[in-house]
Formats: sequence, structure tokens, C-alpha cells
Amino acid sequence: MFRSNNVTARIFERQISSPAPGTSVHCARRFYENIVPCHTIFDIECPDILFRKFSDDGQYLITFSRNHQDLVVYRPTWLSYSCREQDCPDHDLPSKANKFESFFTQLYSVTLACSGELICKDFFLYSEKNQFGIFASSTAQIHDAPAVGGAIQGIPSIEKITFHLVRLEDGVILDERVFCNDYINLAHSMGVFLYDDLVAIVSLRYQRIHILQIRDSGNLVDVRSIGEYCREDDELFLNSSTQCMSIPGRNRNHNVGNGPDHTNQMPEGSFLSGLKQRLLSFIFRGIWNEEDDPTMRMQCLKKKFYFHFQDYADLVIWKVARNTDNHPAFFAVYNMETTEIISFYQNSADELYTLFELFCDHFHSSSKNSFYMNFLSTHSNNIHALEQLRCNKNKASSLPQFVKKMLSTLPFNCQSQSPSPYFDHSLFRYDDKLISATDRHRQSTDHPIKFISRRQPNILKFKIKPGPESGNADTRTKKISSFLFHPILPLAISVQQTLFLQPAVVNIHFRR
Amino acid sequence: MLGSWPSFDPHNFSQFKPNDPANPSKMTPVTYRPTHDRTLPPPDQVIAPEAKNILLRHFYQPAEEKLRSKRAPCDNPSPERASKLPRPSASDNSI
Repeated sequence: MFRSNNVTARIFERQISSPAPGTSVHCARRFYENIVPCHTIFDIECPDILFRKFSDDGQYLITFSRNHQDLVVYRPTWLSYSCREQDCPDHDLPSKANKFESFFTQLYSVTLACSGELICKDFFLYSEKNQFGIFASSTAQIHDAPAVGGAIQGIPSIEKITFHLVRLEDGVILDERVFCNDYINLAHSMGVFLYDDLVAIVSLRYQRIHILQIRDSGNLVDVRSIGEYCREDDELFLNSSTQCMSIPGRNRNHNVGNGPDHTNQMPEGSFLSGLKQRLLSFIFRGIWNEEDDPTMRMQCLKKKFYFHFQDYADLVIWKVARNTDNHPAFFAVYNMETTEIISFYQNSADELYTLFELFCDHFHSSSKNSFYMNFLSTHSNNIHALEQLRCNKNKASSLPQFVKKMLSTLPFNCQSQSPSPYFDHSLFRYDDKLISATDRHRQSTDHPIKFISRRQPNILKFKIKPGPESGNADTRTKKISSFLFHPILPLAISVQQTLFLQPAVVNIHFRR
Repeated sequence: MLGSWPSFDPHNFSQFKPNDPANPSKMTPVTYRPTHDRTLPPPDQVIAPEAKNILLRHFYQPAEEKLRSKRAPCDNPSPERASKLPRPSASDNSI
């Protein structure tokens, strides 16, 4: 790698030597040690907007209007000015540097939510290939919704959830998909996963996973709906069998399309949903195959399977990121094409934790379109992050609790990690609890968050201080901070807000 | 072009013949042959890339292991993946 820490020397070295095979990105990243967002503009005057994040290619800054109805998109630019004096670097920045508009140019503002609906301010998924963004708006939640029409008990209902597909280049809404009387976990994109051009939406109320495809033309196309039915023709098959069952005297060559009153003759609840059936048979076969001796086998089955049968049958697809209560949770891997359950683990399984520790990168499953998302620094590819994880594991008071806590983050929320090189553990050391690549609000402190160089130990490279420069006068109110790091430029925004509706303090950190 | 450069010892590079595109070199590179056969690959070996990523391979592994070890001795209760046939007694829901 580079022999000197000096940026000019590194540039010369880059001209004459090529990096070791497979390390060109890591080598280029080391320049981020030299170029850091060391300057802060405190409490910049900015429009009254809610910041979401930078798109993963750094082209757009996604924000929402304060009334949660409009999407406002900015293009990150760079502050530029000219100075004719002699000692320019020591000069203060001109007054226009304190303006939000010097850093970001508004591209457009488009209304997504109609009256009665609000945009979910924590939801945004980006398809890098076409520069499409997916946003969600919804009406209010109804908590004690009755379980009708195939819905399950205990899940609240939202009258209308709309997903909008927007072309970010110009703000045109290309397509929409509406879900009525359903419940989808929208916070931090928990219930939706985007991979390449496929979107998976988990409908909790109806226990289904809807798969949609984003076409290049901008249409959202239904691909499949997994839950009640696993294969695409299951519904057709079951309906035609139902007709044969309920009308025994008639001709067996009935068409399915012969009137809607024929199709719902099945008493509700007589069949388990397709996915649930797959899961139960997987568990059954797993226990069956453990024992050779038939008597032992039956005993094992009785104990492990039939005894817990109702619990297994009552399992609900949840896909939460946080499992704070002590109910056992399970993790299942399902192959969409072969409609088979591949494996099934409890959330305290050591086996699953080992896989999590070794192959964390693969749980992130970044698509082939986004290049830099393949270089997230995790504990599976970085020795420093792994040391931190092991240290936390040893410090934990109870190992099973620690395993449960780690596994409760699975499956990872889509696009929840920032690709910014400043979060690379091999370049910088920082306090994980105060700031990290994960897109979450954190408790704010008054002290600046230090980023210390790894390769030159104890040398502070830059600090990120949220909140006003002189610190907060009121130290008693709880404040939360969120950080938006540009994926490529040495530019970051920190937003500090109190829990009440006071205006947020927005700082811009950049390289001067 | 390279042959006429000054050199410490005039006999260095005396055998050097610059590449002439009209007269291609007839030299074949030296072929190295192994002196033992301990490291020969099996004759029917086929190397192909693995379609599944390493995490998926770990998920599939226990299932494949159990199937391999248990297939011979015990009877597998699940039928082979047969095409869908309507069954007359489809209304029972016992497992």
C-alpha cells in the first residue's frame, strides 16, 4: 500500500505502482484518510424539511416537507468561491457559506401524499440502475382492527398504504401500488426489501409476501404472492379441487371461471397456508430423519413436534429488526423458486450466530448494480470490527442473551448501511454507540464524536459535533441525532432534534 | 534498437537478437513437467464455479447431509416431487 501519509506523495505513488489484485477499491479508499470533513458549519439556516438520506450513489439528497406530504429532492453541489488575497487558506469563509443553498440545489418538490395520508419519513429505497426511488405514504393506524377477510388477530390495520415509484431525475411519479386494510412495517424500510429489480413487501395482516418487479419503463409488475399459495398455479389448483369437493354430483370438467360463488365453498381455516404447511413439513421431516428406530422416532416426534404443533402453526411472519420481548422468534430460509424451506433456526441458535459472525456480508445481499455497497465494513470482513464484536461478546453478562440480541437484527433492513468510507473500520476508529453506518437515530451527546486514524494510532482525523457550537444550554431534555454521510464526497449532515417539535439544529461537516 | 546500447562488458547481450516482426521467433517456451504424480488431479475432474454464495451453501449443507446419510437405511416419508394429482380425500387436514 502507500508508503507515506502525505497526499501528494500518495498521488505520485499511485501513478507508478498498481495495487495488489483485488484491492483497488481499498487502495483508493485510503485517500479518505487525507481528505476528511474537518470543518463544521453550525446551525445552518435551512428550509423546514425532514432529512431522510443521500441516495447510495451520492446524486440526490432525499428530504420531506415538514407536513409529511411532499418529497423535496436536492442535488449535492460543492461550495465554491474565489479569493484574491494572499493568505487565502487562513481567511474565513464568505457569508454565503452559511447558507444551505450553497451546498444543495433544489431539484423539485413533488406531492406524494393526498389529504389524510402522510409520507412515512423513515422509508426510502433506491434502485441505482434506473435512479428510481420508492417511497411510502399511509393513512393512520387502527389498532383494534377486527380480523376479517383472512387477516390475523392482533395486528393493527392501516386503511391505505401507497408505494410510489418516483424517477429521481425529474420527480415524475412513474407508478403506484396500493394496499388496503393491511399492515406493512414501514419504519426504516423494515417490511420491504429491494434486490436488483425485485421488491418484496411483507403484508403482516394477511401473512403474505408480495413480490413486485420494477421494470425499466417504470412500471411495478406483480410477480408472485407467497403465503397462502407457494407456487404460481397453487390457487388455480386448489380452486378447481374445491369445486370437485363441494359439488359432488356435477361434471368434473368445471371451469374455474364459472361464477364467483363456487370458489369460496371451503370452510375458512381448514387448510393451513401454503408457506406454513411447507414449514411444518420441514420441521416434521427434520425430526423424522434424526432417528432410525421407529419407536424412538415416534417418541421424538411426539415430544418435539406434536407437543408444540399449535405453537408452530400459530407462528406469524414478522420480520422485525428488534425483538425486545422474550418470545422465542424463528428464522427461516425459503427458496422462492423451488418453494422449499431450506433451513429453520430459533433466534438463540448458536449455529445461526456462527454464520452471522462469519458471513455477515452475505446477509446484506447487495445487488450487482450498486458497486460500492459491496464494500461495507462489517465484522466479517474487517478484523477491527470483529475484535469489537468479540469484545462485546465477552463483556456480555449472558451469552444466550447476547446471541439473541445479535440475531434479532436479522434479516437486515434493506439499504440501512451507509457506504461512506468514513465508516470503514480499517481507516477510522470511532465510537459505535454514538455513530455508525447504520441508519438510526441515536442519543445525542454534547461532546464531539471523534474519528481517529487506525494506521496512525491516536491521531485524531476529524470530529463530528451535532448540535450548536457552544453546546446546548438545556442539558436536561433528551436529544436525538441522526447523521447523513455523503457516500463519496467529504460531506456530512448532522441533525439534532429534541423529542418535542422544536426546530432541529442542522450542521454541515465538510472539507474546507 | 535495443542492441546498440552501451554496456559494462561488450560481451553482454552479444547473443541478443531483437524481435523482427517479419521473422517471428521460432523458440518455444520451456515446458515444465512434474517429476512425480502425487499432485495430479483425478482424470475426470471438472472445475466449475459455485452458483450459490457461501452463506446459502451453509444453509443447504445440513439438509443435504441428512438426506445423504439417511436415504439408504430409512424410508423417506415425503414423496418424490410428483406432479399435482387431485386426490379424492383432499378434505382431511391432518399432517
